[in-house]
Amino acid sequence: MESKLFNLSLTLKVIVGISIMLWTFIALFPLLWVLIMSIKLPVDSFAANPLNVIIGPNTLKQVGGLSFINLMFLCLSIYIYFKFFKSRENYFLKINNLTNNKLISFLLLILIFIALFLALFLFLNTHIANFLNNFFEYVPFLKILSKPLIGFTTKHFIAVWAENEFYKQFLNTAFVTLGVVTISLTVGTLAGYALSRSNTMIAFWLLVAALVFRALPHSVLVTGYLELFIDYGLYGKKIAVIILLVAINQPFTIWMLRSFFMNIPQDLDDAAQIDGCNSFQAFWMIIMPLMWPGVITTGLFSFLLAYNDYLVCALLLDGQSQTMVPAIMQYFNMETTMTDLVESIAAAASITLPLFILVMFFQKQIVSGLTQGSVKG
Amino acid sequence: MKKLFILFSVIASFALIGFSSAKACENKNDVPLTSLSAGFDAWKVVTSAMEECGNFTPTLDQDYKDKIVAALDSNPSQYALAGVSASTNVSVLDAGLTRPLDDLIAKHGGALQDNQKVTINGQVMAIAMMTNAQHLFYREDILNDLGIDVPTTYDEVIKAAKIIQNAGVVDYPLGGTFAAGWNLGEEFINMYLGYADTFFDENMPAVNNANGYETLKMLKKLTEYMDPEYLTSDSTYVQQQFQQGKIAMANLWASRAGAMDNAEESSVVGLVKFASAPTTIRGGKPASTLWWDGVVIAKNISDEEAEAAFKLAMVGLDPSNLGESPEAAPWISSAFDPAPSNIGAVMTAKGGAAPYPASAKMSTLHGVLGNTLPDYLTGAATAKATLEKIEADYITAATEKGLL
Amino acid sequence: MNKKTFLIFTMPSFIMMVFFIAIPLFLVFFQSFHFKQDILEIVEREKCDPFGCKTEILKVPVLDEKGNRSKINIWVGWENYKNILKFVDLNSIIQNNGYSWSAIQSIDFYKALRFTLTFTFITLPFVLIFGLCLALCVNNLVNRLKGPVIFITLLPFIITPVIGSLSIKWLFIGDGIITSFLEYILEKDISVFAKAWSIELLVLFYKIWHTTPFAFVIFYAALQTVDKDRIEAAFVDGANRFQRLRYIVIPHIMPLIVFVTLIHLMDAYRVFDEIVGFSAEGFLNSLQWMTYDFLRLDDSGSRYIGRASATSMLTMIGIVIILIPVLRRVFKEQKEKRN
Repeated sequence: MESKLFNLSLTLKVIVGISIMLWTFIALFPLLWVLIMSIKLPVDSFAANPLNVIIGPNTLKQVGGLSFINLMFLCLSIYIYFKFFKSRENYFLKINNLTNNKLISFLLLILIFIALFLALFLFLNTHIANFLNNFFEYVPFLKILSKPLIGFTTKHFIAVWAENEFYKQFLNTAFVTLGVVTISLTVGTLAGYALSRSNTMIAFWLLVAALVFRALPHSVLVTGYLELFIDYGLYGKKIAVIILLVAINQPFTIWMLRSFFMNIPQDLDDAAQIDGCNSFQAFWMIIMPLMWPGVITTGLFSFLLAYNDYLVCALLLDGQSQTMVPAIMQYFNMETTMTDLVESIAAAASITLPLFILVMFFQKQIVSGLTQGSVKG
Repeated sequence: MKKLFILFSVIASFALIGFSSAKACENKNDVPLTSLSAGFDAWKVVTSAMEECGNFTPTLDQDYKDKIVAALDSNPSQYALAGVSASTNVSVLDAGLTRPLDDLIAKHGGALQDNQKVTINGQVMAIAMMTNAQHLFYREDILNDLGIDVPTTYDEVIKAAKIIQNAGVVDYPLGGTFAAGWNLGEEFINMYLGYADTFFDENMPAVNNANGYETLKMLKKLTEYMDPEYLTSDSTYVQQQFQQGKIAMANLWASRAGAMDNAEESSVVGLVKFASAPTTIRGGKPASTLWWDGVVIAKNISDEEAEAAFKLAMVGLDPSNLGESPEAAPWISSAFDPAPSNIGAVMTAKGGAAPYPASAKMSTLHGVLGNTLPDYLTGAATAKATLEKIEADYITAATEKGLL
Repeated sequence: MNKKTFLIFTMPSFIMMVFFIAIPLFLVFFQSFHFKQDILEIVEREKCDPFGCKTEILKVPVLDEKGNRSKINIWVGWENYKNILKFVDLNSIIQNNGYSWSAIQSIDFYKALRFTLTFTFITLPFVLIFGLCLALCVNNLVNRLKGPVIFITLLPFIITPVIGSLSIKWLFIGDGIITSFLEYILEKDISVFAKAWSIELLVLFYKIWHTTPFAFVIFYAALQTVDKDRIEAAFVDGANRFQRLRYIVIPHIMPLIVFVTLIHLMDAYRVFDEIVGFSAEGFLNSLQWMTYDFLRLDDSGSRYIGRASATSMLTMIGIVIILIPVLRRVFKEQKEKRN
């Protein structure tokens, strides 16, 4: 009966299939399109005919493109990469039993992934593929394999990162996000732990206050501090942005961490205390090792908040200390030519890459973080 | 993971920087310096010459005017040098953020002409490098084909636009820098000066009158011949419309004239010609404002930095450098020989167009105009309501600033 | 846990929130009753520029011996609120035009309020319904496909809002790819960025695109915990698929629908990044955008801190009103827990 109950009729199957296909298309299309536009010359990027944008006839003519061999290699690399990822996926799933020692091996694994990524995309797809392209050029009949099919240029990416020194903004963002994540988590875990272990009136009011603060539009807080920060010479200083973002993030952090701490039985604390630990020792030696999944998940969301912020950074940071998101908007103001416009599109495409990788590695954590907050919140 | 990313991106960027090797500069700069300015071609010409001397990072940003006061106000200033226009100069000057340049000019400024020195009570506070004005750009081939004379008044512009529209040779007969905000405010100011001379009666705004009404009507008439997305159309957008052959006429900044003949981007090389900004009344003065752009040096930096900054600025403004790119802007410089692309600006100035009446009052009004006009152009508000709202909003803003 | 340890543990967070949330709130409240001005004086000065010399009489800031401007705070009572709410104008508009929304929206604050509320409440049902439908669909998918579909679904949610808006804007602006496609199908000229309503529609679409994944993830997780036995029992009783959904699944995930609603209200009320990304400021205005606009340096290099503070206060009051029902529920639950 089970199977009959939960199996869908054919019509429903078709409806489900079509809806999912439609949704994945809608979800992906804008992002993919940005990527496609960024690897074409301006004439092709803004062509009215979608096929011209995808194939890029002008780019093909002027710069060249990817041949059948290149495309084969691209597919192969993606396949290898995902295969390798799948084979190690358990590691990421079992992150829930992560202890302090395993954290190092976990980080090591991430390094391996990055190395593999670089090896596949910077070596296999460029040097080896080009070598084969050159080789097949001289083979009759197989020549067709090395004929460029799809226009492709990395010119805009190179212009953005090297000529326009976008890596400076990248470093600013890295500094700000790193600062926000570490401070948020340090302050937040302490409070989250205490709140999960206390049922007093203060704890209750603190949580309610945090809930209200969570709802505050960020502009309200910026209004309060903008003039003061400027008067005391904090304008253009990344530290000012970090402080504000940590404060904005604090209510969310303590709610989420609290709900993770609630999952850890209080008996553990009591047992530790009987063994002669004081509260802080119990927290650090017994509870924290069990909390890594929660901390990583909360850290991810803090990261997203800092990484994606526009309002605070735009008002408090100046051109040179600017993080990437406002810098990209500034890019659009700087553009005076079509090439500039495509360069800003390339900049936009490149700042989504870290997010893309983040989802790939931490999909489970993101999902668990979202649901955790809801179940206990 | 993050560290590795940083490491990687740094290595990659260093490797790539190798491509952009610096050209020689006679006076190497060894003090790290920065600048903030607008991003149009003229600034690219100036800052790239300065970059060749090393240790210099320019920030080119078309929205620089939103940031310049805060940036120079911090101590030490975020930038040693700043590029200003007639109106931004007033805001940094009033706030006391720039330093007098007389002693530096005496030491290093031999190549400057007197008309480059912007003085307040005899003290040089800024060095002007170019003039700018919005004037008529037109497609000579289209006008010739349809037998239209180059329009000199706005009524003729509209008549010509009608003919071009009926002929259907381009997507839209007209272009215009009507983007909501500063651009649109500037369009109103230009047009209004075609009808009247002043925006203020003592301290109170005086645009709610027949002249204001005519200005609004004329702006709206023009939009009927433009790309319907005109409220997002800034100078760059209009420039691109020309380059792609989508429009036939527009009132555009002189600093954009050179781009019309840029073979890499333009499909209309040699076809766009320039004339004075049209008048609103036959025989009147061109409905446009004259601007200057120039360089100031921040007050909140050390004297050594200021000196190095000034020397560096002199490299950028050197007549030989500006003379190499006459098409980029109507430079104010001894070696400057006007290019054909500067003719529109020259004619507009000769026709008697007024200088932009820069002051704190004007900037405030400019901001109010830019925020209020979109509702009128989209039809959400009537002309009468719009003019009333402009004055009311100005009074609110000026009261809060203490200008009244 | 004893009180002392509790205090030690929560102290850093508490101090953070007091210093950087509570005190700024108080400052904003204080500032909203003041004008912050430069001290000005009238001077006569001779100015020469490339277009000639002239003498002008101007009000300029007084500079102290170090050359800095000095500012004063002037108590103005409700003036800032009056300048934003404009009751006098509102009254005359209502007398002239009746209660017509389009006329009232000529006052910026009401325009911003109207859009903010539309944005918050119109997108809500779409997010909930699409999220639930998607969760049901994915739940019925072959196991092997679930992972990739969730991966793709998370992307719109996690992407930087400004960049997400941009990526959709490029599909539509000018002769963007979708505009061209629509023009081809409908055989007429379409300009999405020419009319307020079409931009608004696009912004709403963006928000639904951006937030549906969030609702999806929550609902999908909740569907895993639905009691299968009850569904079977209902099946035996002859309930059809829709009835099973209506009477068993939805009541089961009701608390989560409330949760998603709460978070969505908080986040959508903050609408700001979308206006930046779509460069829609000529057409649309949101409460947070209004504050931002007052805080930005204007053309003369000053900020309108007074009006920014007043808008901030009004914005805050708005979100508190929206949250009252939720807050009441939290109170009740906490009380029950205690008893």
